[in-house]
Amino acid sequence: MRRTTRLLTGAALAAGAVGLVVTPAYGGDSGGLEVFPSSVEPGGEVTVHTEFCPRGAAAGDASAVGAGSFSLVPSTHDEQAAGRFRVPPSAQPGTYEIVATCAEGGKRVAGDLVVTLTAPRGQTHPRGGVKTGVGGAFGHDPVRTAAGVTALAVAAAGGTWLLHRRARGDGI
Amino acid sequence: MRNDRRTGDVAIAAASVLALGCAVLLLAGGTEHPPPQPSTAQAARTDAPGAGARAAGTAARALPPSPPDRIRIPAIRVDAPLTGLGLTSSGSLDVPPAGRPDLAGWYESGTTPGEKGTAIVAGHVDNADGPAVFYRLGAVRKGGTIEVDRRDGGTAVFTVDAVEVYDAKHFPDEKVYGPAARPELRVITCGGGYSRATGYRGNVVVFAHLTGSR
Repeated sequence: MRRTTRLLTGAALAAGAVGLVVTPAYGGDSGGLEVFPSSVEPGGEVTVHTEFCPRGAAAGDASAVGAGSFSLVPSTHDEQAAGRFRVPPSAQPGTYEIVATCAEGGKRVAGDLVVTLTAPRGQTHPRGGVKTGVGGAFGHDPVRTAAGVTALAVAAAGGTWLLHRRARGDGI
Repeated sequence: MRNDRRTGDVAIAAASVLALGCAVLLLAGGTEHPPPQPSTAQAARTDAPGAGARAAGTAARALPPSPPDRIRIPAIRVDAPLTGLGLTSSGSLDVPPAGRPDLAGWYESGTTPGEKGTAIVAGHVDNADGPAVFYRLGAVRKGGTIEVDRRDGGTAVFTVDAVEVYDAKHFPDEKVYGPAARPELRVITCGGGYSRATGYRGNVVVFAHLTGSR
């Protein structure tokens, strides 16, 4: 089973390489692979995902940053392929290309990862409250208001008519 | 002849009373639906710090960072996509576009939901047209479940520790946004009373921590 997987992965990688050589436009060399966080400290964990691999399986390659190969597997809740790897603590600051090759079709997608020595995330948090409402839930529905005014007019007309009759002495 | 008139008068009287009743119902009652607000029983316990959290569920191990895609709060039937949010020029958390009342957002320069630290999600309680995605957020109760689908294919499951209301003038930044030693989540919307002149007075904040994943 493992042997089969390895063979398949090898075939996929080879197909990807051939695809790149034969049809450079097909590869999508820059892009297609979303890297998160896009900027990370040495030793940090990175998640990658792509929507370009059929059925969500792919072989990932993070050897540029010294993290070797990893697999991308289908997400449980959508059609995307996702995988992760850990940047080695010895990684040097710089920009590295992370690559994934679809198991099916051999399409190659890539994304950039920046290794930095200072924590890029979570440095500042928001201040104060959040303006997430304008009171629209309190608003009077114009249709409803118009219907109410009409009903009020009908009641007034009826009442006036009856009072008028009574004043004339017609009696009720 | 007189009987006919009498019947007509009674009909007119009945119709008038009915119309008056309808007018009262349509104009006075029923048009105002303030969003639900949490009771003080849903606030964090101050007598025994951490007791509420332990009772609600054991903290789960932190997940690796991965951006979130959707948030689900089954108790109030929320199942909404998430968009990335930044900060406004004044340093407050930005909000999703008002024209997309079904959309919630997360603070994408901060912690991702499931990762160690405090992840922040915000959404509208209403817009000019009526209720929005977090209209019923104030009805969430301690021990309730919040699920976040992540782009790495997994789902982070949080358990609610407390639901609080804060006045905008005294918003506790550190308590709501400050760092945490375990994976935590805040879900924020407007609340705390409303007046036509000044709008909502503050925010409803749901505090939760990671208790599982799948």
